[in-house]
Amino acid sequence: MTAATTTHGGSRTPGFFDALAPGGARALFFLSVTAVLFLFAFPVFWLVLTSLKPGWEVFYVHRSTEFTWGNYVDVLQEEIVLNAFINSFVIATAATILSLAVTVSSGYMLSRFRGPIANTWFGTIYLFRCIPYISWVLPLYFVTQWLGIFDSYLGLLLPHIAVHICFFSWIMKGFFDGIDPSMEHAALIDGCTRWGAFRRVALPSAIPGIAALAILCWLWTWNEFLFALILTSHNTPMITVVMAQFVHELGTEWNLMSATAVMTMGPALIITIFGQKYVIKGLRI
Amino acid sequence: MLLLVGPAAAVLVLFQIVPILIGMNASFRSWALYDPTKTWVGLKHYIYVLSDPVFMTVVLPNTFLLMFLSVAISLVFGLALAHLLNRDFLGQRIVQTIVLLPLMVAPVIVSTMIRWMFNDQFGIVAVVWEGLGFEPMAWLAERWPSFSIILFTDVWIWTPWFTIILLAGLKSLPREPYEAAAIDAAGRWRVFTHITLPMLRPVMLVCIVIRSIDAFRTFDQVWVISAGGPARGTEVFSVYAYIEAFQNLNFGRGSAAAVVGGVIIMVVGLLMYRVLNRLMEVSR
Amino acid sequence: MSKGFAKRIGLLTGLIGLTIFAVGGAGALSAQELKIGYMKHDIHAANVVIMEKWAKAKGVKLTKIPMAYSVFQEKVTATLTSGGDQFDVIWHNDDWGQLWKKWVEPTNDITGMDKVARKPLEAFINDDGKISAVPMVHTVGVFFYRTDLVSENEVPKTLDELVTVSKKLQSEGKVKWGYVGGMKMNHTWFSQWWSMWSNNCDIFYPIYSRDNKELEANGWKPALADPCHQEIIEFWWDAMNTHKISPRAMTAYGRDEANAIFMAGDAAFTLVDSTHFGSFNDPKKSKIAGKVGMARFPMGPRRTTPVAWNEVWGWAIPKGVPDDRKKLAKEMLGAMLTDIEGQIKQWEDTGGPPPNREAWDKIAAMDPVFGQLKHAVFDVEPPMHAAYYFPNWPAVHKAYSDATIGALSGKREDIAAALAKGVPIVHAAAVQ
Repeated sequence: MTAATTTHGGSRTPGFFDALAPGGARALFFLSVTAVLFLFAFPVFWLVLTSLKPGWEVFYVHRSTEFTWGNYVDVLQEEIVLNAFINSFVIATAATILSLAVTVSSGYMLSRFRGPIANTWFGTIYLFRCIPYISWVLPLYFVTQWLGIFDSYLGLLLPHIAVHICFFSWIMKGFFDGIDPSMEHAALIDGCTRWGAFRRVALPSAIPGIAALAILCWLWTWNEFLFALILTSHNTPMITVVMAQFVHELGTEWNLMSATAVMTMGPALIITIFGQKYVIKGLRI
Repeated sequence: MLLLVGPAAAVLVLFQIVPILIGMNASFRSWALYDPTKTWVGLKHYIYVLSDPVFMTVVLPNTFLLMFLSVAISLVFGLALAHLLNRDFLGQRIVQTIVLLPLMVAPVIVSTMIRWMFNDQFGIVAVVWEGLGFEPMAWLAERWPSFSIILFTDVWIWTPWFTIILLAGLKSLPREPYEAAAIDAAGRWRVFTHITLPMLRPVMLVCIVIRSIDAFRTFDQVWVISAGGPARGTEVFSVYAYIEAFQNLNFGRGSAAAVVGGVIIMVVGLLMYRVLNRLMEVSR
Repeated sequence: MSKGFAKRIGLLTGLIGLTIFAVGGAGALSAQELKIGYMKHDIHAANVVIMEKWAKAKGVKLTKIPMAYSVFQEKVTATLTSGGDQFDVIWHNDDWGQLWKKWVEPTNDITGMDKVARKPLEAFINDDGKISAVPMVHTVGVFFYRTDLVSENEVPKTLDELVTVSKKLQSEGKVKWGYVGGMKMNHTWFSQWWSMWSNNCDIFYPIYSRDNKELEANGWKPALADPCHQEIIEFWWDAMNTHKISPRAMTAYGRDEANAIFMAGDAAFTLVDSTHFGSFNDPKKSKIAGKVGMARFPMGPRRTTPVAWNEVWGWAIPKGVPDDRKKLAKEMLGAMLTDIEGQIKQWEDTGGPPPNREAWDKIAAMDPVFGQLKHAVFDVEPPMHAAYYFPNWPAVHKAYSDATIGALSGKREDIAAALAKGVPIVHAAAVQ
């Protein structure tokens, strides 16, 4: 991305990066990248290391060179773990697809149509997002019991979607706000329907945004803890709750917990790598 | 349009609004979890919370401090990283994946990991710290070091969130203004502040407000790392409400605390939105 | 959105709906099925194994529902107070004895209840004077020491000796720390409280009383500012800062940290639940396996005989359960209580002392470790309670922890003032 050099308009004011010699800018870039990588990767690396250690060395990670697969073996022997992985995967994927389907279109609507409906929607979302979980998570438990969907896929999906709708339609609106509506107007004049304009013009440029939200939504639901904890029991084990079960009254089984956590990162990593493509690509109008 | 919003609204009402209303209802009643008599007590719980000196002088300041610092720091880092990742360089995909690593681990796991890492006896931070010759520090036994660790954890978890959304935002920006700026031979910083930032404004604004609301309600990190300790020094609003509702089993009072906090952040969030909107417009 | 897309969404929703039908269909519960809810833990699992033996013989289906501890109490309380029958049998804890007494069945009539220790069950007495739980295991605190560092008669018997012995070991370079134990909120037993009770001290006046009527008549007066208390807090302050036999960051330690340090061989003494003996002695988990001994609590200056606490985890039957399942559940619990062989196996597998005292004699005869435990805890008279049993107890616990941690985090000369400041806060927590 080199700026076109030109003699037109005289010299430009040199900035910080221009002041550095070309090698200096590169070195700074390289250094910052390395620092960032280290900061972000280290705790995760430490977690992986921890999961491979036996007994007391799970805390004194640095003190010995013993490694073991034992923690993973112990965790995988419980059949509930495999069940939980499957359930979490299904819920995360379903919640992502369903939430996005709704929020992409409602975000578009909120952005393009500024009317009373949009404002009420917006206001309601804002209002209710402000109330913290503590005051309504037990009532949610009662509501799902009352509806008979406690401890089932539906009982988890619906609350998740409700929360995601709040959040994503707002951000989606922000993305659509940043996309110039003039191209859609041109398409409408050309005879497109509203939906056609949306699908052919606005949607493609929002793909990076949608992809980003899809990744965030999936990861959020995959790692989500509170709803899974309150709204499920033995019929629908979720992986975050299984991890929580390693904390009991007499202490934390950190060896098993860390092994499960590392395994939980696996699908998350795959989804992220897969989804990133679309965040980067994005289509230009 | 309404057809689309309809089912979404129904889900929203049933699974968000109804439980919230039930919770708010509880805040006006005497509702102990083990003995839910649910008798109406009016504003008794609210008065308790608002006249609680610890709530006003420790909990709320802690919460605001955490919120402002966490959002500001992760925004700046997130923006910088998004900008960094916006170009094509060797290994870009790998760097981007690593930057997103914090999003792949549950906050509870991260917080537990950080808690062990900062332990003064076996934590790797202490080992390195003392290895470099510094005096051993009781990280988690003192108020401000604990607070800093919680802040660090929060920033670590949420910077990638900003990064990926802002990166997507950057990717959606049209090319023309940049090409025009190149012709005008504008410096990189000017391009950033005069073209990129204004066009990113809608997304950034929404992100800041949403993230601020969530940062105000941070729970997992604080609870796992310090449980609000030592001696309530790092207690934040959500921990306060949780302790009232689920440890003291006073669901009515915990609910009232939650509503008080909710109202506070509602007002603050709106103010932030207005102020930031104005600021960003002026800088154009 | 395009029709094709909408169709796909519709299909997916339908698919999900079908899946839910298939998975979530809970039919009516047959009379021959019992559901047990508990925290996921080896001891519960071992006790449930005993019940499974009975269930298999009787042709009863036992559905096990382990839950995460962090939400167990809230979820079960919510279920109990709504009269639900989600569980037929639930794990019960002395901490919750007074919270749940209205919602669980009296258990005096269950077979084997006459063979269990009476004192720990006082936490579960309901308003009619009946017991409302069935014990499954004893939870007791034990003072652990390193047998390779001190011999049996060198084990400190008083708090002063704890300091001198620790300092000697540290100066000889044999160990990094003298004592390490949990101290932060919810682990208060393992520093402040065991030493408090060992010093003729308690949270409320009158000392050692657990009679709620008596405590109320006394106005729930905290003993936090009593000289006996100041001695204890100053002891811990000195332990961390003056004598340095304990790490300065101990105010933030829970069981996990303390156990990790002990198992890594970096501390000579600790005090924690007896069931951790298993991990301490496991060569796969601990560096000090085979070098751990159990002893009585060191005494404070105001006592000449040691103390020990002896509580139980148990099972309870929710009142909302239909009568036929209640009867079945009672039968099952009675079978568990009288299955001596099963209870011996529970001890062998988990180190959890079983409830039936007839099993104790058999175990003591074959296992010297139980003998140590019996001497350290069960033979200490009179046994005491490790908690107060009234609804505001959790709030009192938190207030106490905050006050003492605050005192321990400040200057030594400010300890008396910090404790005095805590008195009205602990009182307010008790009477709210």
